[in-house]
Amino acid sequence: MMDAAARRRVRSLVRKEMRQILRDPRTKRIVFGSPILQLLLFSYAVTTDVHNVPLFVVDHDRTAESRALTDALTAGDWFHIAGSSDDPSDLERALDRGTAAVGIQIPPGFARDLAARRGAAVQVLVDGTSSNTATVAQGYATRIIQEFGLDRAGITDRGVDLRTRAWFNPELSSRTYNVPAIIGVLLMLMSLVLTALAVVRERELGTLDQLLVSPITAGELMLGKTIPVAIIALIDLVIICVLAILWFDIPIRGSVLALLVSSIVYILASLGAGLFISTISRTQQEAFMSMFLLFLPAIVLSGFMYPVHTMPAFFQALTVLNPVRHFLEIVRGIFLKGWGFADIWLQLGAITAMAALVLWGSTARFRKGIY
Amino acid sequence: MLSARRLAAVARKEWIQLRRDVRSMVLAFVLPPFMLLFFGSAINWDIRELPIAVVDRDVTAHSRRLVESFEASGYFTVTERPATMTEVDALLLDGSVIGALIIPPGFARDLSGNRNAPVQLLLDGGDANTATIALNYADAIASRYSQLVLLRGQRVVLPVEPESRVWYNPTLESSNMIVPGLIAVIMSIIAAMLTALTIAREWERGTMEQLAATPVHRLEVVFGKLLPYLLIGLFDVTVTVTAGVIVFGVPLRGSLILLGAMTLLFLLGALGIGMFISAVLKSQVLATQVAMVATYLPTLLLSGFLFDIASMPAVLRAITYIVPAKYYIAVTRGVFLKDIGLDALWVQGVSMVLFAMVGITAATAAFRKRIAQ
Amino acid sequence: MSSAIVAHMLTRRFGEFTAVADVTFDVARGEVFGFLGPNGAGKTTTIRMLCGLLSPTSGSATVAGIDVATNAPAVRSRIGYMSQSFSLYADLTIDENIDLFGGLYGVPGDRLEQRRAWVKDMAGIGGRGDMRTGDLPLGAKQRLALGCAVLHEPPILFLDEPTSGVDPLARRAFWDLIHSLAVAGTTVLVSTHYMEEAEYCNRLILMNRGRIIAEGSPFELRASMTEPIIEVTTDDAARAVEALDGVPGVIEAAMFGRAVHVVLEEAGLRAHVIDALRRAGRTVHNVSEVEPTLEDVFVSQVRRGGGAVAG
Repeated sequence: MMDAAARRRVRSLVRKEMRQILRDPRTKRIVFGSPILQLLLFSYAVTTDVHNVPLFVVDHDRTAESRALTDALTAGDWFHIAGSSDDPSDLERALDRGTAAVGIQIPPGFARDLAARRGAAVQVLVDGTSSNTATVAQGYATRIIQEFGLDRAGITDRGVDLRTRAWFNPELSSRTYNVPAIIGVLLMLMSLVLTALAVVRERELGTLDQLLVSPITAGELMLGKTIPVAIIALIDLVIICVLAILWFDIPIRGSVLALLVSSIVYILASLGAGLFISTISRTQQEAFMSMFLLFLPAIVLSGFMYPVHTMPAFFQALTVLNPVRHFLEIVRGIFLKGWGFADIWLQLGAITAMAALVLWGSTARFRKGIY
Repeated sequence: MLSARRLAAVARKEWIQLRRDVRSMVLAFVLPPFMLLFFGSAINWDIRELPIAVVDRDVTAHSRRLVESFEASGYFTVTERPATMTEVDALLLDGSVIGALIIPPGFARDLSGNRNAPVQLLLDGGDANTATIALNYADAIASRYSQLVLLRGQRVVLPVEPESRVWYNPTLESSNMIVPGLIAVIMSIIAAMLTALTIAREWERGTMEQLAATPVHRLEVVFGKLLPYLLIGLFDVTVTVTAGVIVFGVPLRGSLILLGAMTLLFLLGALGIGMFISAVLKSQVLATQVAMVATYLPTLLLSGFLFDIASMPAVLRAITYIVPAKYYIAVTRGVFLKDIGLDALWVQGVSMVLFAMVGITAATAAFRKRIAQ
Repeated sequence: MSSAIVAHMLTRRFGEFTAVADVTFDVARGEVFGFLGPNGAGKTTTIRMLCGLLSPTSGSATVAGIDVATNAPAVRSRIGYMSQSFSLYADLTIDENIDLFGGLYGVPGDRLEQRRAWVKDMAGIGGRGDMRTGDLPLGAKQRLALGCAVLHEPPILFLDEPTSGVDPLARRAFWDLIHSLAVAGTTVLVSTHYMEEAEYCNRLILMNRGRIIAEGSPFELRASMTEPIIEVTTDDAARAVEALDGVPGVIEAAMFGRAVHVVLEEAGLRAHVIDALRRAGRTVHNVSEVEPTLEDVFVSQVRRGGGAVAG
């Protein structure tokens, strides 16, 4: 496909790029250190699990039963006691101040009503400002309290007895969902940053002319710039996968080969986007900002932090154009659901199309001359 | 002796330079409202109409009514009615449904006979958050249906009746949670970007040296430079708050003055830190990168904006104590949704003051090296 | 093809702004050809067009017999180019830079080693190939950049202000290098804004505001200036210049060190000048005719064209 001279030109350029990247301590930190750091940060911070919710208790009854109810609530790790008092206004203040997210008020006569099966009332107040946490916490509290009552009354007949089983992620840990997704985020970030700055830096330093005036063609130049970044991104991929498997105990249930192939195509799409930004930016500054402004919506509208299907229809449609969205589906499917090539062809096709488009666009711009 | 005149001169120069730079202008005035509208619309966490599959092996009035009550709740919508378990497996596997409700034969009989009537719910646990919420809803629907049935005939009351009320955001709309937080996020990002962009440029061009040769005092330089950005920040907050109320219908219950004061302090701190970073790094490129990473990541992840801090591991929880955005978001959410005053927010108030002081001190100290006074 | 470089009515516009207009010249093989002019005259833009880095708005250029506009890639292996800003990678070592450009230009392995030795010797770096290029002194860096530009021994070499910022001694050394290349048969096209460097060229063109305002060998150019120049030494040069302001027959008077150079409309006006100075109270020590420098030629040509100097 390429003759020997062309291969040599690409090789020379790749070697130069690798040397520059590996020699600069700053880039080395960005390239190898920060993915690990960000992986740890993201996977522990991006949690939609609800536990350790601060609970404020106002117990007017102060019997063994009321204390048992409080214990039932704090038994698991969902709630912990943030404060207790006799005075309901303390509860209000705690909610206002945010020191408690949920409060319960146990009325006087609770134990008596419970024994007489008279429907003992318990008031549950939930701070709704954090709507997601509130929904889940409210659900937990209500269920625990109801179960407590049914247990105490010795009622085993529940009527409709809903038996739930969660597939793929039986403990319903959000980390299992997020860690594979972080691969997508980090690969894109890495590829974008390295390539967006790549061409612009040369132009700023004045070395770009020297490259352009040599026999190297636009396509060879693209290859020379993208191959080193692709290599680095793949190294990052391996590092993150190893961490996911060993540190987070999230095994790859599906096809590793499919993961590799998808990652390569996805990296190419990200590289292409970065290169395109590089060709339209005059300074490194501009390149970085454009990259950031592209990256932010790409991540937000990808299903990384919250599901695509909860977005309004317009935005859902937009995500079809977002390779991150497709890649996240692939990577989550492969890790959690054991997907293989047969399952990912739609998403993979979408990413491939986007990669081709953006790489072609960048090369075309390059060929026209960047002046 | 500090001179207001010199300060004003610096501020005016800063403003003129800012006005002439198209990029900074777009960043300052166009980006914040755009980001609010875009992300405020896009980030929507309300879980409604989750697609489920139903396998009804009982096919009685009871089973039908149970399925109806699932749909009537608004939380679920039945999109598939597969005939075999293999089909159910396939649907869960490819992600077209998030759950499958399987009603065994004999359901109605068990229910009428006052026996346990088991019903199976299979959930796609991949998206743990949605699954947990779905689980809670499903439980609630099932138990309500049970109550309905049991009530018919006998007056049965649950031993313990929890009455829950949601405060501040009774409809549990996610936009009420997100918009106030988004305002804080946008402000931090813009503040960091702006200062990194313009201040670092001055260092690069060597005009800082020029300033140093004049009688100007470094505090005058710091405040003079801060002034235009502060005003821009306040303007942006006003616009975004207005947009939040009008477009997203977020209620504004608390004191605007409190919000304004806290915003001022927050901006002082954020801008000061931004100036410090630019002054120390002097290279525009580097300053932008560091500013963004040092502010954007913690603000996005560790401020309580989207993710609940209490649920994070202890190490991260500790770190959040030094994330300024966390306190500011508590204030914005408090003022929007809670109608509380300084007495409830005094911790945040003090933190904001501290933050502002740290920011200004850092910026001033950084200038000391260059402006010999 | 007898001419190595032929430019015909080369024009380049950037939107409303015309950077280069109707530039026409040709360069014979083995010549050292100079572009002389102030910053902003259009020298770099013209060179970029000749190298195929920029496409002309109109006009044509032929380099090594190949039409640059239609077949730029073919030209690249036949030319060497040294850009205005430092063109090597500061964070790579000397050897690594040579490796890169050797690879890009396809210089065969063993030939590359010979060229490598030559470049390092020529740049005065000797055996220290593993030194970081950015750490070299400026003069050595420029010579190294030149060496990398000719690794592949091109017949034609384009140098865009190669001696900017270099001290006069190093500049001389650099020009010696250029001459040795020319003697060996390379055609060299050099641009500079240092007027005295123009003396080193076989022929040159003077550019101002995108146009050629004069062309020829240094000798021819100097001869083209008909206005005589006299050097006058007085007791107070500054006051002398003031005194000559507006005197008929005086085109221009300027300080030249302690003396004053006066450009006259014709030779016979000497007496008028001495007169005017004496009337102003100046003591005239000496008057003599001097050769015009290329700077004088340049200014005179610009004046004739009725324009002002750019930049």
